[in-house]
Amino acid sequence: MDLGLIIYLMSLLTMGGIYAVLALGLNVQWGFTGLFNAGIAGFLAVGAYTQAILTTPIDRDHLGAYDWPIPLAMVVAMVFSAIVAFAIAKICIRLRSDYLAIATIGIAEILRLVFKNELWATNGPRGVSQIPKAFEGVRFADIDWLTGDLSGWAALRYEAVSRGWMDVPLPTPEERFLTAGLFLGMVVAIVLVLYIALEAARKSPWGRTMSAIRDNETAASAAGKDIEAFRLESFVLGAAMMGLGGAILAQYLKQIDPQVADPLTATFLVWVMLIAGGSANNKGAILGAVLMYAVWSGTEILSQKLLTFLSSDTVGLLTLAEAGEWSIRFAYLRVFLIGLILQFILQRRPQGLLPEKRPKPRPKPSPRSAPEAEKTGSTQA
Amino acid sequence: MHPTRLLAALAVLAATVSAVPARADDVKLGSVAGATGPIAEIVAPILAARNLAAAHVNAQGGILGGNSLVLVLGDSQCDPKAAVDAAHKVVSLEQVVAVVGANCSGATNAMAQSVTIPAGIVSVSDASAAPSITALDDRDLVFRVAPSDTNKGAALARLAWDAGHRSLAVAHANDDYNSGIAEVFAATFVELGGTVTASEPHEPGKQSYRSEVAALAGAGEADALALFAYYGGSGISFLRNVLEADAFDTFLAADGMLDPSVIETLGAEALAGRLTIIQSDSDPENASLAAFAELYRAATDLDPNGPYVAHGYDATFLLALAIEKAGAADPSLISAALREIANAPGEVICPGEWEKAVALIAAGEDINYEGASGPVDFDAAGDIEGFYSINVVTPEGTFEKRPLK
Repeated sequence: MDLGLIIYLMSLLTMGGIYAVLALGLNVQWGFTGLFNAGIAGFLAVGAYTQAILTTPIDRDHLGAYDWPIPLAMVVAMVFSAIVAFAIAKICIRLRSDYLAIATIGIAEILRLVFKNELWATNGPRGVSQIPKAFEGVRFADIDWLTGDLSGWAALRYEAVSRGWMDVPLPTPEERFLTAGLFLGMVVAIVLVLYIALEAARKSPWGRTMSAIRDNETAASAAGKDIEAFRLESFVLGAAMMGLGGAILAQYLKQIDPQVADPLTATFLVWVMLIAGGSANNKGAILGAVLMYAVWSGTEILSQKLLTFLSSDTVGLLTLAEAGEWSIRFAYLRVFLIGLILQFILQRRPQGLLPEKRPKPRPKPSPRSAPEAEKTGSTQA
Repeated sequence: MHPTRLLAALAVLAATVSAVPARADDVKLGSVAGATGPIAEIVAPILAARNLAAAHVNAQGGILGGNSLVLVLGDSQCDPKAAVDAAHKVVSLEQVVAVVGANCSGATNAMAQSVTIPAGIVSVSDASAAPSITALDDRDLVFRVAPSDTNKGAALARLAWDAGHRSLAVAHANDDYNSGIAEVFAATFVELGGTVTASEPHEPGKQSYRSEVAALAGAGEADALALFAYYGGSGISFLRNVLEADAFDTFLAADGMLDPSVIETLGAEALAGRLTIIQSDSDPENASLAAFAELYRAATDLDPNGPYVAHGYDATFLLALAIEKAGAADPSLISAALREIANAPGEVICPGEWEKAVALIAAGEDINYEGASGPVDFDAAGDIEGFYSINVVTPEGTFEKRPLK
């Protein structure tokens, strides 16, 4: 395999990983608790703009020049998303699924329009540019491979910022591979940590209470659970993860504008990923995200290759000019294909590629301390 | 179907199609454009122009000694997310020599910073007008043949002032392109001594703009309305509401509004002599535009005067010339070669004159491409100054074009 193909596959996995963070967040809300959040784009935008404004070293027509460290900004991006989600949840968490969906669609649009119109803070539709990216500018010589010490790189980055952003030599292909690999490693690590934490949560009494609420609210309430508090927790937790996804996305793109919170690619696509992968299954959410993103991105390559094939000398069905015309039409193919896959999966595998697996009730230590949540959690098989 | 079987089937299909080799010596150019997404209807004619430029190269003997020039499309959807993905496909996977695009400024910005600049690939945008692109620290890798809004907005403001307008109302669609022009326009007009009674952004795609129109009309007496919008997004609806309310007599606009459908929908009698549209353009006395218009009409049934259509042709043709000049499909040579073939001095090359250009390059002579969109002479930042013409609506329902000196 040549390096170009590897770098492309890494970019595919990086975006797949970012979508996996969003899908895991949605899984907490919809998969665990049954909250229909149709405003993923809004929380993503809060995270992305927080990251962009806090870390960008230059304030070109927007709030900024704070030059915060990247990891700290990512944490704050999560916190901001959680705060916004808390305020929203306080008002509309009691709405039943379809009403909550309508409310969240509205809220996501409001957030997008705020980012689009508050020019002083966000530079409006022009967006924020030159966002620092984790591991950007790392060279092989900067890393002490034995200890994993990155301080050489950190010095380089700050020097680069003071001299004018990007005023460092262009990376060689191997260095592009290194920086892309480190960034991908960070995304994978985040997905893994979230996965392990969510798996633990799912199997815990908290997680089983969530599925009890999802499956039968009245019964859960009768069992003495504070439904509203649990729904609020789940909504805020999911939204914080979406904010984290936005913070990683802002770094990866280095440029964000309100189009990043486009409902088609930031809300609808995440839903397709979760449904296709299997809602209420964390593995399913990750698998769905990576797979659907690969389809979303890969269909374009396939259609381009198909046109090259048809216009090649051996086949010769199309002239080069005709291939050019067809390539424009083929661009719409993937939107169609994503819809088709969703239809297919809903028809054939309504529970997704990896259906939900209920946690087995743990062996009871003694009959007296059996928590009631376990009973409600396992009533509906 | 079992998921693993579905996956296997997909993998086999992918392997079959990708196993077919492209012709070994094809010279590949990335063509990154918002083929789907919010400005798809504007991008389609631009892509046709890019394809036409490649077709001219291939019909007239090909590139680098008879090889085919192949455009590899990447759909940037006018969205930074999609632009980075599309750029990775054309740059990392297809390993193109250079990239034409993207169209939207946000897409161009993201693509350049995340992919093309680190990879050392030259990109020439045909429609990105944001000033932030000038400010990129781009190692001389990011070029554009679309003039920055800073220039266009200022030119239109001077036009309004010279036409005797002293107070104006400004309405603009709230996207990167139109809000940028509106901002510079209003600032320049005030600098010249004029008054801006109100500046009202609006969201594209709404059914009615009556409340925005009422707000503008209520903000005080103005000589004219300056409307910055894409005709398909909100321009036509907005102008219809203005005409219904009879709120303003005269209208100024930029090239997002330049489409025959504006006159067809609203009627020539309502707009004749009242609507003036400024356009990034070529000097009509310049032979290049006429040559391009004729070639474009012969090849497609689209309008060669549409927004950024000529620019799309120029961006592609320029990169093809730069590759020929560099003498090899080597990305590191393109930036310097691009300046040599685009800027004076040298024998003038017009659109479609590929054979002539190749002969001159082979003879070791300098060439200077004079594009359909203007002289395309790049300054130090990789920008062009731009040439503008104005279009006024005639009673017969056509646009009459005049150069703006």
